[in-house]
Amino acid sequence: MIAIRPIKSSVILISLLAAGCASNVTVENPKIPRPHFEKLPMDIAVRIPADFHNFVHEENVLGRETWTINLGSANASFFTQLFGYMFDNVIVLGPDDNALDHTFDALVEPTIEGFEFSVPNQSKTDAFAVWIRYRMQVFDSLGNSASTWTVSAYGKSQKEGMGGSKSLQRAAVLAMRDAAALILLQMDKSTRIGQLADGPLDLSEIESGATVGSNADEQDDVPVGIFAIGGIDE
Amino acid sequence: MNKSGGLITILLAAGLSGCVTASVENAREETTGLLTGESIVVMAKSYHQGNETEADYIRCIERALGRGSGALNVIPNQQFVDNLFPWFEPRTAPADTKGLVKLMERPGVPDAVKSMGVRYIVWLDGDTERVTQGGSLSCAAGPGGGGCFGFAWWQDDADYEASIWDLNKSESAGTVTADYSGTSFLPALVVPIPLIARTQAKACGGLARQLKTFIVSDEAV
Repeated sequence: MIAIRPIKSSVILISLLAAGCASNVTVENPKIPRPHFEKLPMDIAVRIPADFHNFVHEENVLGRETWTINLGSANASFFTQLFGYMFDNVIVLGPDDNALDHTFDALVEPTIEGFEFSVPNQSKTDAFAVWIRYRMQVFDSLGNSASTWTVSAYGKSQKEGMGGSKSLQRAAVLAMRDAAALILLQMDKSTRIGQLADGPLDLSEIESGATVGSNADEQDDVPVGIFAIGGIDE
Repeated sequence: MNKSGGLITILLAAGLSGCVTASVENAREETTGLLTGESIVVMAKSYHQGNETEADYIRCIERALGRGSGALNVIPNQQFVDNLFPWFEPRTAPADTKGLVKLMERPGVPDAVKSMGVRYIVWLDGDTERVTQGGSLSCAAGPGGGGCFGFAWWQDDADYEASIWDLNKSESAGTVTADYSGTSFLPALVVPIPLIARTQAKACGGLARQLKTFIVSDEAV
C-alpha cells in the first residue's frame, strides 16, 4: 500500500501534465448567413457521409502539444444549410439511404479530402489557420458520375487571449464560410450541375468524353475553380 | 499621506511611460461628408492578400470612431459582412474600386447597403510589429527575499493605412495613414519599473481622430 501511493501520485501528476499539453477545440454548427444568390431551379439530393456527423481531427504539433478539433456535426449542418440556399429543393440522404427511392435532378456527395491547421508556434505568426479540402462528386438522376470538384478553403484568425482555442475555432468557421462562398459562386461553373436540370447525361456523350462538366479538375476547357482573390470573376 | 501617496503613484504611473513618435497623414481624392442616418463600416483588408491587421485593432478603431466628440455611426463589421454574404468574405471582397463598381451592380447588394445606411467603408491595412529589442534582466528569489536587476527595452512600430471608399459614388475618397513608433523600457533595481509605450493604442486613437475629421469634413479636393 505504501509503495502504491507514490505510483498513484505519479500517475495523477503525469496525467495532469499531459492534460496541460493537450488542447481541445469544439466547433459548434456554423451559421451560414442567407446569401445574395439566385437559387438554381432544380431538385438536388445531397448524401451526407457518416463522418460529417462526428468529424474529429487530432494532431501533435511539433511533438509538444496535441490539438484535437471536434467538428461534430458542423459539416452536416453546413452542407444542409448551404444547399438549401443554393437549390430550389434539397433532399438530405444519410450514408445508407437508397438514392433510387427519391426523385431528383442531381445527387451531390461531398466528402472531406483533407483537414489541416497551423498554430502560432508553427507559423511563427500570431495567427491560427485552418485549411479544409472538400471533394464534391456530382451524379445525374440515373447515378452516372457527372463531375468531381475539389474545393480548397482557408480560414485564419489572430491569436487572442490565452490558449488560442477560440482563435482556432474561429479559423475553422472562417474556412467553412470560405468554402461556402466558393461553392455558391463557382459550383455551377465548375461542375455544370445546372445542366442536369434538363435531364440525365447522354451516355453516348459520356463515352465520347464530352460529359456535362466531366471531371472538372482535369478538363482544360472548363473554368475550374477560377476565382480571383479580391472579387469573383464571372 | 495615503491620499497624497496614492496621487503621486497615479501621477508617476501616468507620467512614466515609454516614448512614442507619431505621424498621421491623409491624402484626399474626393470630397466627403456624412448625412444624418448615414453610417460607416470598418473592415480589414483580406488576409488572402497577406494583410495581418489585428482583430483587436479593428475593434479599437470601431469603438473610437463611435464615441467621443464627433462620434460617427459605426455598423459592426460582422453584421455588414453577414448581411452581404458572400460578397465581403476574405476571398470575395473587392480589392479595388473597379471591383466595387461591379459589386454594386449585383442584384440585392445596393439594397442591402442602403438598408444599413452604410455610406463609407474604411479598409484597414497594416499591423504592429516588434522591430527591435535589447538589454538583459534577471530575477532571483531566495529564503531572504528576491529581486530583479538589469535593464530591458524594446521598440514596436505600428503602421496602418485606412482607405476610405464612398459607396454612394463607388469610388475611393482617399487614404489616412498612421505611423507610430514606441520604445518601452524596463529598468529593474530590486523592483522592475515598467515604462510601457502603448504604441498600438496610440495608433488607434490617432488614426480614429484623423478618420473622423476626414470623413465629416467638407474640405474640397
